[in-house]
Amino acid sequence: MKITIPHMGNVYLAAKALFDGLGVDYVIPPMNSKAALEIGSLHSPEEICLPFKIMVGNYIQAIEQGADTVIITGSCGPCRFGEYCEMQMKLLRRLGYQVDFIVIDAPKCIGLKELMARIARVAAASPRSRAQKWRALAQAVRIMNLLDAIEAKAHEKAGYEKVRGTCKRLLHACRQETFRCKTPREMLRCLHEYSRRLDQVPCDNSAKPIRIAIIGEIYTVIEPFSNLYIEDKLMDYGISTKRMMTPSWWMGNTIMSPLKINSPGIRMASRDYLPYYIGGHARECVGEAVLSWKEGFDGAIQIFPMGCMPEIVSKAILPAIARDKDFPVLSLVVDEMTGEAGYVTRIEAFIDMLERRRSHAVSRH
Amino acid sequence: MKVGIPRGLLYDQYHPFFTRFFTELGAELAVSPPTNRAILDAGIQCCVDEACLPVKVFHGHVSCLKAQCDLLFIPRIMRLYRGEYICPKFCGLPEMVLNSIYGLPETITEPFYADSMAGLRKWALRAGARITRDRRRIKAALEAAIAEQLRFKTGYDDQGYPIRVALAGHPYNLYDTFINMNVRKKLNRLGIGVVTEESMDEEEMAPEVASLFKKPFWTFARKTYGFISASVAGKRVQGIVYVSSFACGIDSVILELVRDRIGDFPMLVLKIDEHTGEAGVDTRIEAFADMLERSGRVEDHHSPHGQRLSCCESPV
Repeated sequence: MKITIPHMGNVYLAAKALFDGLGVDYVIPPMNSKAALEIGSLHSPEEICLPFKIMVGNYIQAIEQGADTVIITGSCGPCRFGEYCEMQMKLLRRLGYQVDFIVIDAPKCIGLKELMARIARVAAASPRSRAQKWRALAQAVRIMNLLDAIEAKAHEKAGYEKVRGTCKRLLHACRQETFRCKTPREMLRCLHEYSRRLDQVPCDNSAKPIRIAIIGEIYTVIEPFSNLYIEDKLMDYGISTKRMMTPSWWMGNTIMSPLKINSPGIRMASRDYLPYYIGGHARECVGEAVLSWKEGFDGAIQIFPMGCMPEIVSKAILPAIARDKDFPVLSLVVDEMTGEAGYVTRIEAFIDMLERRRSHAVSRH
Repeated sequence: MKVGIPRGLLYDQYHPFFTRFFTELGAELAVSPPTNRAILDAGIQCCVDEACLPVKVFHGHVSCLKAQCDLLFIPRIMRLYRGEYICPKFCGLPEMVLNSIYGLPETITEPFYADSMAGLRKWALRAGARITRDRRRIKAALEAAIAEQLRFKTGYDDQGYPIRVALAGHPYNLYDTFINMNVRKKLNRLGIGVVTEESMDEEEMAPEVASLFKKPFWTFARKTYGFISASVAGKRVQGIVYVSSFACGIDSVILELVRDRIGDFPMLVLKIDEHTGEAGVDTRIEAFADMLERSGRVEDHHSPHGQRLSCCESPV
């Protein structure tokens, strides 16, 4: 059994740590690129959302490198992501690829027993002892949390650094070096080292950079390729960004949600605008917009793939928040046809507008 | 008290329930007229651009009704069957409307769970409280409304045509003859009868749906997939006409699952949006009708996607 997973931001690093720790055979698909997207959009249904297409590209590239088992997570709707597994299985079979899918789905729709059986299939491939397996899982979770913390730190500090580009370089070097590590322990050491180095980046604490919150659909905000590396671009402009949606947030949220005690801040903040969970992360998007206004951000950028049902609802609500709170929000829709020039122009115009608001009385800063 | 009910989305399926419920409570009703150009234009103007056509049409109905009623009913239909959803946009419909249209009267937006009696009762008590304080009357109205809905039958099952096709899609795309340009009439005129999913028992669909790896979590997906697969497997129809609104997330999934199931069985997918030109739709339907007719003449040689019909002799 040679396992692979689709890309989503830095998840591949945590997955690598987990598989290394378990001692199972795996393939990390080549980093997301035009090639993966082109393969994916060739074979995928035309109107399906962007993440599906990129993921299909990942699978096919990984299969070419010998992968025969795909692990993905599932959901029970009402967003389309929950149907991905079924459609992708059929699509790959039709293309003639022999791959197994292990779908880690929510216990409420497949039952706890079935979920355990599916996880056991992964665990059975590992030659390690039970204690070692648990340790591998714990280390992978720690790596994910650390990575998200490092990323958040770099994105925030990009507005304050004395030498423009220091944080971005450190972040990229961190990812590359972590990927080269052979064991989870080595990875953790490397991440701690980079976390320390980021703390020591010389900063101008009197700076008052523009601060933008990145909100929207979870895959397109986390996976930099799908949003045309928006966070890197904003770091280049010397803008401090914050994104609440991270793989570690998702993990915590998913574990807490059956008890309905997940993300109390978002629940409270979104109450006036969208008091129900309608699928996907629409409520989170609305809640984050309100929260970032409360935290004194200059504006927010919403990103979602073309046709994303939950985010269309939040896009209808965001203008009301913008009006009520005097808080600018830019909505960007991405798909395989998004042209970079038009995309960048809109972001630059938005930033210019935020800067000018500062010099006028309309801004709170 | 005048209650406004927009004639959009699932109105065609569930109007007996909602109209009976509100009239039993003693409210006067204001229902928007059938969709027309003015309603569509109003909807496009106020609705968020990315939404699908039926949601835009619903916005149009609301803006047409807003000055004619004191209390506007915006259904937030969360569930019709246990463990299944409709669509995220249905769950967030009131928020979309409230934040896009100005000058609305008071609204009823309570979540509607039709998968259990308790859910229905909860909805009825909350929604009814806006009209009357008499709880007994609300409960009686709910009973009457449910009975009314159960008596109501909808769907097409045309008899006496040489060719029959399955007309599939979301009910609001099939029964709103303005947005689908009366596709049924167009087909009938070409000698094609249509059948819709209401003419099939759920038991017939169930085995088809059960053959999927994962049970679909959308009511539309389960029913439409089951209906099409069972119709094709049971050889009840010669073709499928699927009416789908542009950028419908659920249709993108259903169509892929259906295509995988039926192989090269003839299927016409009519995409509709606010720009759809009628001439193009006519051409496509006529071409499809021609193809069905010819495939009847050359047995087993129907060509749904451009292959040659027959190698030896021309069918026409």
